[in-house]
Amino acid sequence: MEDLGWSGIVVAILRNFLPVWISLAVLFAVSIRYKRRLGLYGKLFDSMIAMIGFALVMFWVFTAIFSDLIVTHDTLGQISQMKNKFPGTATPDGSGWYLLGGDHLGRDVFSRVVAGSRIVVQIAPLATLFAFMVGISLGLPAGYYGGRLDTVLSFLANLILAFPVILLFYLLVTPEIVETGLPQYMALVLFLFPIAFMMVLVNSRYYVVPAFRNKVMLIIAVVGGYLYLSLVGEVGTRVAVLPGAADFIHVPGNILIVFVSVVFVNSPTVYRIVRGITLDIKTRDYVAAGQTRGERPWYIMLWEILPNARGPLIVDFCLRIGYTTILLGTLGFFGLGLSPESPDWGSTINAGRKLLTIAPHPAIVPALALMSLVLGLNLLADGLREESLRD
Amino acid sequence: MTKWDYDGPILEIENLSISFFTRLREIPAVMDFSCVVQPGEAMGLVGESGCGKSTVALAVMRDLGKNGKIVNGTIKFKGRDLTTMSEQELRDIRGSEIAMIYQEPMASLNPAMKVGQQLMEVPMIHEGVPKADAYQRALEVVRDVRLPDPERILKSYPHQLSGGQQQRIVIAMALMSKPALLILDEPTTALDVTVEAAVVDLVKDLGKKYGTSMLFISHNLGLVLDVCNRLCVMYSGEAVETGSIKDVFDKMQHPYTQALFRSIPLPGADKNSRPLIAIPGNFPLPHERPNGCNFGPRCDYFQAGRCDAGDVPMFDVEGYDRHETRCLRVAEIDWNAPPQVAKKSEKMPIGDVVLRMEDLRKYYEVSANALFGGGDSKVVKANETLSFEAHEGETLAIVGESGCGKSTFAKVLMGLETATSGQILLYDNEIQSTPIENRSTETVSGVQMVFQNPFDTLNPSMTVGRQIIRALEIFGEGNSDAERRDRMLELLDLVKLPREFATRMPRQLSGGQKQRVGIARAFAGGAKIVVADEPVSALDVSVQAAVTDLLMEIQRKNRTTLLFISHDLSIVRYLSDRVMVMYLGHVVELGTTDQVFSPPYHPYTEALLSAVPIADTHVVKKRIVLEGDIPSAMNPPPGCPFQTRCRWKSRVPDNLCEREVPPMKTFPGGLQVKCHLSDEEFASMEPVIKVAAE
Repeated sequence: MEDLGWSGIVVAILRNFLPVWISLAVLFAVSIRYKRRLGLYGKLFDSMIAMIGFALVMFWVFTAIFSDLIVTHDTLGQISQMKNKFPGTATPDGSGWYLLGGDHLGRDVFSRVVAGSRIVVQIAPLATLFAFMVGISLGLPAGYYGGRLDTVLSFLANLILAFPVILLFYLLVTPEIVETGLPQYMALVLFLFPIAFMMVLVNSRYYVVPAFRNKVMLIIAVVGGYLYLSLVGEVGTRVAVLPGAADFIHVPGNILIVFVSVVFVNSPTVYRIVRGITLDIKTRDYVAAGQTRGERPWYIMLWEILPNARGPLIVDFCLRIGYTTILLGTLGFFGLGLSPESPDWGSTINAGRKLLTIAPHPAIVPALALMSLVLGLNLLADGLREESLRD
Repeated sequence: MTKWDYDGPILEIENLSISFFTRLREIPAVMDFSCVVQPGEAMGLVGESGCGKSTVALAVMRDLGKNGKIVNGTIKFKGRDLTTMSEQELRDIRGSEIAMIYQEPMASLNPAMKVGQQLMEVPMIHEGVPKADAYQRALEVVRDVRLPDPERILKSYPHQLSGGQQQRIVIAMALMSKPALLILDEPTTALDVTVEAAVVDLVKDLGKKYGTSMLFISHNLGLVLDVCNRLCVMYSGEAVETGSIKDVFDKMQHPYTQALFRSIPLPGADKNSRPLIAIPGNFPLPHERPNGCNFGPRCDYFQAGRCDAGDVPMFDVEGYDRHETRCLRVAEIDWNAPPQVAKKSEKMPIGDVVLRMEDLRKYYEVSANALFGGGDSKVVKANETLSFEAHEGETLAIVGESGCGKSTFAKVLMGLETATSGQILLYDNEIQSTPIENRSTETVSGVQMVFQNPFDTLNPSMTVGRQIIRALEIFGEGNSDAERRDRMLELLDLVKLPREFATRMPRQLSGGQKQRVGIARAFAGGAKIVVADEPVSALDVSVQAAVTDLLMEIQRKNRTTLLFISHDLSIVRYLSDRVMVMYLGHVVELGTTDQVFSPPYHPYTEALLSAVPIADTHVVKKRIVLEGDIPSAMNPPPGCPFQTRCRWKSRVPDNLCEREVPPMKTFPGGLQVKCHLSDEEFASMEPVIKVAAE
């Protein structure tokens, strides 16, 4: 089989991404068709910048979803003849090409980038979401009550922010510390926030309709509780609550650590933003109206203040997914957290950097992927900010 | 250099049309606007928000932003057309020939620069005057705007001055280069009434002294009467009537002007026998203006086929000095016909006492350092010895300027704060030290509040219906969702809003409509006592009347006790049964409306009455201008709270006012006044407001 030229590579890549193109086309067609009925999401399609950003983000999301269809080779399979081969080189058995070349162990760069997207797209938004839950749950009362609570929480947040992030990560992944179970204990605390958040959210509003409230609370407690226990616990580690037979979600220890550390360093920043907005919104008359009506504090925080803080928070959410993606890359780059085999973009860039002068492509391709995703998120955030201001 | 002589009119605006261009469409903001300002003349520009009056001012400054464009017409300043000038020429004129004063003084001053420097900058930039001369001139102007201790003022930063002082500095800055035209855009809206009166007085005198022409923009007809010689009434982007103050006020020739005057509470209006007449309908949005006359759909004299046929030009009114009106039927309408009085209503009997306050005090401790404690803590006495009763079905007005403690009092009553000492008795239950979370649902739903700012009173991300239903849920009204929904729709009927509004978001409602929803929400639990904190002060004049009427009507129906907090004495006189005047946390006067509005007065009430602008040329007011500002509640004066500004102080022997807080003095008839003045002095007081014979 012949090696492919550049045009051949482009055509082959475009063809491999076919499921992604179809999904994107359908998504955009439907969204533009009904954009007037879709609220803020629909408004995205009024702005070119937001549309480009959204397209870039959704490209990687669909890539992650369909990655099994797109990959051309096994992400871990090594072909020794293909070490550091340039893009378009045909495999020796004639079954296909390494579209974007081979890395220093003879693995397919294209397939690894595609597979890596799955890890990035899974962890980054989820970690950001958890960071937001923690930040919101602490920022709202700090801003609303003020006083000593605010002083203490803000001091703690500053403490975490002042600590060098990379050093913190090194500490968290040190085997001695992992053995003490510290990251898992942190997960115990941090993962509790989303459940508590949901319960308070429902209770504060529906305590006036007890029958409905009890039903929803029970569902949250059972589903959330199960997810919580099986996420946090792992048989054979220090925190093992569920028996192995009932624990269907297996989170590898190192991913849990990465997850926890990302949430841990991101939540203080979210906390500060939420606290600031709360300080502003709590002076509004509708908050006073809630108070004079005898609403409880958590209702006012979650139903009167939080929805009106959504604009800046949504924008920050998008930006923060970008930061988290970079942070994951950085962690991978330093060899922290994920296993060295992992196809995530940070680790592959790190692996590729040693041979940058001989074969640049194993590092450049994931770097470009990372850049395009973060760029997309930033553009999306920009567009959202702009469109949310318009009416 | 930039100043030139010209002996024609200072400002001639001819057929000016201004549009704003948005992504969707062109929005005409001002159409076919003409006016002339002669040297030394003060022209008032009056209208409701959104009528385009500020846009005209900005067009004169050529500061319309990048969306705004002058699409037609000319603006001639001293004979030169401003619309064709280059940026360079405009820069020379702005600030030296035409100066502008905005609503918010703090926003016009640079907070990082000393006042003196900011003032000196003006002649230094425009005329290249050396620093020493500029300083002298600044000193002189600061003295002119009647600020005490000019040297110290020049050395201070803006935040070290009070709001009234800041506005005086802004005026001083505008006068630094002796401009030919001064544009004032609602210059006193952010100030308290007594401070406003002093600033308006100042503007008037300075206009005379410097011979400056003025374009005075305001929504307050009373102020315009005080300041201006001529006036132009605007409605929905058009001038509808121009003329001299006397002509327009007394012999108005446009239905809108007439309706406007009938909807503001002038002396003589009464909620029972002569109620206000609200203008029906809503202000049209700029892109939904009707054909022909813009006021047509809301006009009593509307004739289909004629008023909506085509654009209406300005007509000269015969026999008057430059009096013009934009009404086709001007000659046919009998302008002197008395208004068709809406339904009169019986005066409601006052019931039993529902709320009694006895010797209520509320002090706050403010510590110097919040983070680590320590430092000296100061005590702010927000409410001092508050005692009064409120009866069922009664309207008790609480009058006072900012910082007088009326909001604190409301907070204590609502249970958001607890009292320091004293008692609040609600139906004989003591509630002064029960915070709201410990109050029974019945107590909470029985005492509710209507807020001041319509744009802030509703949660912007919840539908109108949902917000009312929430109140019903909290108050335990209704047993099922369906029942509560029905109740919510009834409440919408009660405040006269269409039922479709239940699914609307607050941003789709106008200010008056939002305020109605706020009222519906307050009455969700069948409130017995409603605290209305300036409920109409942020609304346009024509909407004010309708919302006030609504409150009165619900009061009649439910026999609610209304505690009406306001600084606007005109509306207080119109709707309240009894009035309580507060100053720096003290109740200084308490009595029935007639008693408070006629002598004997507390000296503060007297000044307050004199300060309120009244839009009626027949009213003769005694001018009492208070010196200085309201003292800070952190650092109140010793003795009588009002002694620093009182003009009667010298009549009390032995400096008693500076040593002792006066006792509450009760007059026969029940009027209570907190003052040291002797009975003879009280008897010698003259009424502040006199209505001259027609």
